[in-house]
Amino acid sequence: MRAPLRHERRDLSYVAISRIDELRRLDILDREISIGACVTHAEVARSLGALPECRALAQAAANSANPAVRNVATIGGNLCASAFAAADLVPALLCLDAELEIEGAKGSERMTVKRFLEVRTDIEPDRLVRRVIVPRTTRRSVHIRLPLRKAGDYPVAIVSLAATLNPAGVVESARVAVGSVEPVARRWEQLETNLVGQSLDPRRATEQAERFCADFLGREGVEAPGWYRVKVLPSLVRRAVLALQEQS
Amino acid sequence: MSLRLVINGEDRVSRAEPLTPLVDVLRDEFHLTGAKVACREGFCGACTVHLDGQPVVSCLVPLGTVEGREVRTVELLATAGELSPLQRIMEEHDVVQCGMCFPGILMVLTSFFQEHPRAERDEIKAALVGNICRCTGYEHLVDAAVALAKRS
Ligand SMILES: Cc1cc2nc3c(=O)[nH]c(=O)nc-3n(C[C@H](O)[C@H](O)[C@H](O)COP(=O)(O)OP(=O)(O)OC[C@H]3O[C@@H](n4cnc5c(N)ncnc54)[C@H](O)[C@@H]3O)c2cc1C
Ligand code: FES
Ligand code: FES
Repeated sequence: MRAPLRHERRDLSYVAISRIDELRRLDILDREISIGACVTHAEVARSLGALPECRALAQAAANSANPAVRNVATIGGNLCASAFAAADLVPALLCLDAELEIEGAKGSERMTVKRFLEVRTDIEPDRLVRRVIVPRTTRRSVHIRLPLRKAGDYPVAIVSLAATLNPAGVVESARVAVGSVEPVARRWEQLETNLVGQSLDPRRATEQAERFCADFLGREGVEAPGWYRVKVLPSLVRRAVLALQEQS
Repeated sequence: MSLRLVINGEDRVSRAEPLTPLVDVLRDEFHLTGAKVACREGFCGACTVHLDGQPVVSCLVPLGTVEGREVRTVELLATAGELSPLQRIMEEHDVVQCGMCFPGILMVLTSFFQEHPRAERDEIKAALVGNICRCTGYEHLVDAAVALAKRS
């Protein structure tokens, strides 16, 4: 839609899929949540807001963009816009161990979001993301984004965190995903490993994040230089851990 | 090509190309010039209309995806010449400056107040993050919206 404004050529063809009912379904099942590719951000936020284990995804959907964009922007579009580094739903889905079902003339295929991000620029145009599958577990999760204005802006950096705690409050498993810092969102495995086996402690998590954040090479952009995106990561990790503590 | 849609309760047929942004169809074909075009990027909210009751940025909605759906524009807010309560309070507080952003702001707040009639100031501000006012009359207009929320 924006191509003429940018003096770019429009794609030769446009296939609208928004009227395929199945792609607009969101089903909360016992063991998983199935989200059709054309479910909008507003619907994700509305339907998942009350589920503690999916809070990262609901928060990502509720706080991205602005209300009138959230009513049209779809989860499938957010995942497939490969040139868009600041996508909110992508790190949230990474930290929730989500998988995708991809449909094509030659049949369907299921893959993790992590794998999808590795191959998405090579995916043939005859294939569609059909649905997103989020497993249900006892984890808690949170999505922390840093826009430069308080809201209504692309995030400069994103940290999505999911963790399972045992009754004594010790972290049994952890997932940290970082978005908008590099061109493609990814998990922060080194930090994950160091969170496991300890109780949640914002100060320790921040120190670890400071130690490991040289792992990231921030992308340059008009809204923020690359170094800044990396520099803010420890603070976002601290906010994420604090928010998770409040939930537990 | 011709495409059927329902605009402000009336059945309409558009002859525009399916990829034409809805806002251009509303303004150029049906002369409903309330929705404004400013950024065409989804950032400013000037083009906001309701699609099946929800606010959307009509600059990013291709006409072809609206077939058979219900579009409502700012022109519908005042029924039978009576301003809506939201419009009235904006007038009472003398909020409007150049007016470019205003149809979009009214459409966003109309649906927001349907869901949150007693909203707090912060919630009203959060609802308006997608509406840019180049005359920067934000606080004044939020004051008016808060006054409306207090009345209900
Ligand atoms: C003003 C504004 C602010 C924004 N702010 C944010 C923000 O803060 N955070 C954020 O995350 N996003 C933000 N966005 C981006 C927006 O959320 C995404 O662009 C949106 O999710 C795209 O959804 P869509 O349905 O419009 O996709 P489209 O634009 O229609 O599609 C995007 C790409 O994905 C392909 N595609 C779409 N669906 C499928 C599918 N099912 N299978 C295969 N390919 C597919 C399309 O062919 C296209 O190449 C913003 C957008 C705007 C306009
Ligand atoms: S013109 Fe549509 S959002 Fe600015
Ligand atoms: S009143 Fe002029 S842009 Fe808002």
